[in-house]
This record gives sequence, structure tokens and C-alpha cells, in this order.
Amino acid sequence: MRLSEGKIGKTYEVERIENTEQVTRRLEALGMTGHAEVKVLNKKEKGSMIVKVRGTRWAVGKRIADGIMVREVRE
Amino acid sequence: MKNSSKQVLKVAFVGNPNCGKTTLFNAFTGANLKVANWPGVTVERVEGEADYKGQKLKLIDLPGIYSLTSYSIEERVSRRCILEEGIDVIVNVVDASSLERNLYLTMQLLELRKPVVLALNMMDVVEERGMEIDMHRLPEMLGDIPVVPVSARKRTGLDVLLHAVVHHYEEGPKEGVVVYAKGLEAKISKLTAAIDKKYGPQENERWLAIKLLENDEEIRKKYPLDMPEVLDRSYENDIIGGKYDYIEEVVEECLFGKEEKAAFTEKIDAVLTHRIWGIPIFLLIMALVFFLTFAVGDFLKGYFEEALDWVSVMARGFLDGIGTADWLISLIVDGIIAGVGGVLTFLPNIFILFLALAFLEDSGYMARVAYVMDSVMGHVGLSGKAFLPMLLGFGCTVPAVMATRALESEKDRRRTILVTPFMSCSARLPIYVLFAGMFFPHSSMVVAYSLYVLGLVVAIAVALLANRIAPTGEEHSLLIELPEYKTPNGRTVAVYVWNKVKDYLTKAGTTIFVASIILWFLLNYGLSGMITDISQSFGAEIGRFLVPFLAPAGLGMWQIAVALISGLSAKEVVVSSFSVLFGISNINSAAGMSALSGILGASGFGPVNAYALMVFCLLYSPCMATVATIHRETRSWKWTLGMVLFQVLLAWAAATLVFQVGSRIFG
Repeated sequence: MRLSEGKIGKTYEVERIENTEQVTRRLEALGMTGHAEVKVLNKKEKGSMIVKVRGTRWAVGKRIADGIMVREVRE
Repeated sequence: MKNSSKQVLKVAFVGNPNCGKTTLFNAFTGANLKVANWPGVTVERVEGEADYKGQKLKLIDLPGIYSLTSYSIEERVSRRCILEEGIDVIVNVVDASSLERNLYLTMQLLELRKPVVLALNMMDVVEERGMEIDMHRLPEMLGDIPVVPVSARKRTGLDVLLHAVVHHYEEGPKEGVVVYAKGLEAKISKLTAAIDKKYGPQENERWLAIKLLENDEEIRKKYPLDMPEVLDRSYENDIIGGKYDYIEEVVEECLFGKEEKAAFTEKIDAVLTHRIWGIPIFLLIMALVFFLTFAVGDFLKGYFEEALDWVSVMARGFLDGIGTADWLISLIVDGIIAGVGGVLTFLPNIFILFLALAFLEDSGYMARVAYVMDSVMGHVGLSGKAFLPMLLGFGCTVPAVMATRALESEKDRRRTILVTPFMSCSARLPIYVLFAGMFFPHSSMVVAYSLYVLGLVVAIAVALLANRIAPTGEEHSLLIELPEYKTPNGRTVAVYVWNKVKDYLTKAGTTIFVASIILWFLLNYGLSGMITDISQSFGAEIGRFLVPFLAPAGLGMWQIAVALISGLSAKEVVVSSFSVLFGISNINSAAGMSALSGILGASGFGPVNAYALMVFCLLYSPCMATVATIHRETRSWKWTLGMVLFQVLLAWAAATLVFQVGSRIFG
């Protein structure tokens, strides 16, 4: 599934990133690599969300969140 | 490898955005550079000096970066400085409270084979949250580099850090610590051998090899190698993965009690970044900022007016007493004191405005605004990040224009630069205070706030229009770090506000001083030499020439034309010009205001004209300092002058609309 479909309060594991080369590299430099855990903290109706990756909070626009493929982590 | 001692050591401060580099740099150099709690405050490199037991050090503060690639302006500035300017020691400032992410840059720096000293900042936050860092194991796992806990805010650990810098320089660099997968390591050794053979021994062969495998543009151009069997694809992903794998090990071994107490920030965010309430709350906060600016500022203003009155009377009496020529008394009292003093009486308002902005910036709210406004900005083809420079524009347009560097694409930058001047900067505040106070005495605050909102609306409308005419066609996606909320630091806020107040005073002493003198001459001299009737002056001639153009906007008085032209030097000058033009010594006082509104009213200038004037001042060409900055940032006179022309026309059209419609309704 896409990260943009994620629900507030849930944690997901990054599988791969489907975006332009540049955005992908930037996300990876920020630690959004395969197997990294992403927690959705806040989300707007259609669009951006606030997520937490490797201890850091990020505001992420919809286009970027659309391109982050994740799967749910069972807790 | 040992380094021999050197006269001046070049030390670069490198670290993630918002990790406290600049605070640390200020602590060492005694500089007062701006710091705030949002990423991307430092956009240019800054240098300073320090001294440790006779060893001179040159310190360089670089913009915050997440990695050493060359995707953004900040990364390129920092990387070029580290690689090409003979940096002797790198101080890697690390936010200990988010070790995992910060260490990624550390891993890259270690590969450069330059002496690295780790400054572990924000240890107080780590302790507050009940976390612990194993200070024994951490340096071991980082290849035995010195790790020094510091607190930039409390100024602890500073001497230890400098000692480590000097000592570690003499020891020379350490080896990198990350070992990649076998296949990758084999490629790295093949490449280092090839580099050695083709280009001779290099200081950082391993780093060059890694960059080649990452397909790094700059390095590939500088060190081209024809080895298609080794460089068959970009291995960047594998290399990043290798580093993060190692960081996970480090964090697992060195960081204890990771149960975060970040709940505080999350609770505040649940309200402030709420999907529905986020925008209303933002508008409310801004309304509160302006309420404080006007209400509290006005309260303090009275004292300034009394002081100005006193100075004006004393100066006249003194100059008269020593037999100064009449024209010189007039120049000093009616020109300089009225002009400069008139602007100075607005200092309390300016002070409160910047105090409020400093609180917003240092608390951590700024970055949230980018998220809150992202969808609105998305409609006009910009990312929420573009809203940050616009918000800074409420303070001063010059730093706001520079802050657009944080935007990734050149098109986004220009579009943001185009609309940023529509945000009412603090120099426009005196104009609003004066004219709203004079012509709308019962609702001056609402009228002034309406201009702030109007500026915001025009900015968004212009961006929308620009996007319709020429869509950038680029992906506008927000990606910004949201720092933890914190109580604003007294020293940080004080430095911020003092710098702004100082700027304002400097401007009063230079630009406004000179403009007042020039204006006085233009108004007291005419074709026949010095004149007594101001309407015969050069200034009046120039103003009268423009009157036909300004008349449709309800601004058809030559005095207003002169004031608007002088306002190009700095917008406060519009106010000081009115003092000089109408010979009012204390324009911001009740007596001064009623005198001016009396004169203006007698020639048919009423509230509708006043509103049209304020709208014109809001929108027309930004001050000279801003125009110069925009030229420097866009490197195009054509674009810059086109923008100025567009804004003057827009101001004229908007003021005309206000006057024509307004005078039909209220007239």
C-alpha cells in the first residue's frame, strides 16, 4: 500500500520508494530506506501528513507520500 | 598520519539543519547570528575567529545539511567549502536527541578522511527525556574520534571542544567505520586502485570511489574513469543502506531508554496542525501578533513622542541661541529631526512585532505553518515550504527573499520572490499606524489588519495567476523537518529582537537621515533659489508632473507623489516625508495627526483616499534594499525590473479600484 493511505497512529515499514530520482535520493538520505519504520502522526483529508522516521518528525506532501510503498507492521 | 601544527586552523561547523550549529558558533565567536527553531535558518556560510591557548582558529558556520550529496544549494555550499577550502578540522554538530538521523551525515564525514570532532549537542534534552548515551562505546564505534558533549545554550563543554579540535588536528584523520557488503567493497578497492593509478595518490580515495559508485555528478566529471564493468549502475541505494545498517548497530549499542517522551510535542501538534483547525488557529495567532503590535506598541509610543517634542523644542532653542542661520535651523529641525524622529517614534511597534515573531520562530511553530498552509499553497502551484519566506516577510522582505534559497527549484524560488514583497513588512507598519489612526480612529486596528490580510490575498492571487499563465509543471511536494516544541530561549529571542531593532535604528540614521535631507532641499529650493512658498519648489514640480497619473486613485496631490517617490528608498520614508512636506514636527502624536488630517481633509482627502494610499504603499515597488537583494538572488536585471514595474502597475490598479468603488459607496 501507499503511505498516503496510512492511518493516524499506525506504524508502517517502508518497502520501496517510487518517485523521481532526486526525491528518492533525498528521502533515502533522511533515512527512509527499505525496512525503516514510519509512524503516521497526523494527516489531512487530502494531502500532506506528519510522519516520524528514525526519531525525527517530517511534514510530507501528498505526492511524496503517494510514492512511498509500505506495509503495515503488526504490533 | 600526524599533522604538524599550523598558524591558523580552519574549522568548519557541519551538521543537520536545526541541530544548534549557529548557537554553538555564536557561543565561540561572540557573534550574534540569527538562530531559530526551524530548519534552514542559515543560508550562507559565515566566518568568525576564536583562540585556544594561543592557537588561532578560524571558524566557519555552514548551512545545515542532511547529507553530502549535491542536490540542494545548502549541500553544494557546504560540500564545496569542506572539499576545496582546505578545512583542517570538521566539527560535526550532532543533535543528541535525534542521534539516529544525525549520524548519517557523520558516517559520510568520516569517509572524507579529514579530522572530525563530534560535538554532541542538546544533551540536556536527552537527559530530560530519560535517555542515556554510552559515552564510552560511542567514540569506539565511530572510529575513535573525540566525542564531546556540549550545550550550546548553556555554554558548557566549549573549552573541551576546542581542546579536542586542536589536539585531534595534530593526531590526523581516522579511518572510516562503515564496511559495506562484500561485492561493494570489492568494487571500492578496484576503484581506489584505479584512481591512484590515473590521478596519483589522493587524500580521500575511498570517498571518491564511493561517490563514483553513487553516480555523483561532480565527482564523475572531476575523476572520470572508464570502468563500465565496475560502474555498471548507481549503487547509491546500497551505500545509503549500508550506512543506516551500521547506524542501527550504533544506536542499539549506545543509546538507552529510547522510550520517548515526545508526547508533549505530539499533543500540541494534534491541535495546532489539526486538519480543520490548523488554518483558523494560524490566522488567530497572526491576529494576536498584530493586536499586540498595535495595542502594546501604542501604549509605549506616548513616551517616545514626548521625548521627540522635547528634543525638537530644545534643538530649536539652542540653535537660535547660538545664532544659527534660519535655513540651517529649518534643515535640522524641520528636515532631520522631523523626518528621522518621526520614524523613530514607531520603534515600540516594531519592537513588539519582532518580539512576537521571535517567539513564533524559536518555539518551533514556524515549520508547522508550512504543513498547515501546504494545501492552500498547493492550489497555487507552490509547496507549503514557500510559505515560510512569505511569513518572514512580515518582518523584513530582505531576509525573506534570501530564505527562498531553501526551496529546491529555481522556478519555485522566483515565484516566491515575486509574491513575498506583498507581505506587509515592518517598514510599512508606520504607514498603517499613522493613516489608520488618523482616518479610522475607532477601528484603526481592524483597518491595519485588513491590509495585512489583503497583502496575503494578493500574494496568493498573483501566485495563482502566474501558475495559470505558466504552470511550472513540477512536483510540488512538501518535505520539511518538524522540530520539537520548546520554550523560547531568552538569549536567542533577545539577540533576534536586538538585531532587528538595531537594523531599524541604523536605517533611521542612514537611509532615512539622507532621504530627509534631500527632501528638505527639494522642498526649500526652486528655480529662483531658496524659497518660502513650498509649492514653488523642485519637489512640487516633480510631484505635479505625476499628479494626473495618481488622481484616479484618489492620490492626486503633489505632496503624496513626492512622498511615494521618496518611499522607494525605504517605506518608512513615506511617513517621514509627510512630516517634512507638511512641516509637522511630531507626526505620530495626537496633535501631529490632527494637524495633518486637518490639512489633508481641507483638500478633500478623506478615509477612502487614505485607504487607497495604504493599499498603494502595500503593493508598490519594494524598497531599494529589497530590489538589490532580489537582483542578487535572481541574477537578472530584466526579471527584477519587470517585477518592480508589475508591482507598481498592480498597486496603481488596486488603489484606483479602491478609490473608485469606495468613493461611490461612501462618497
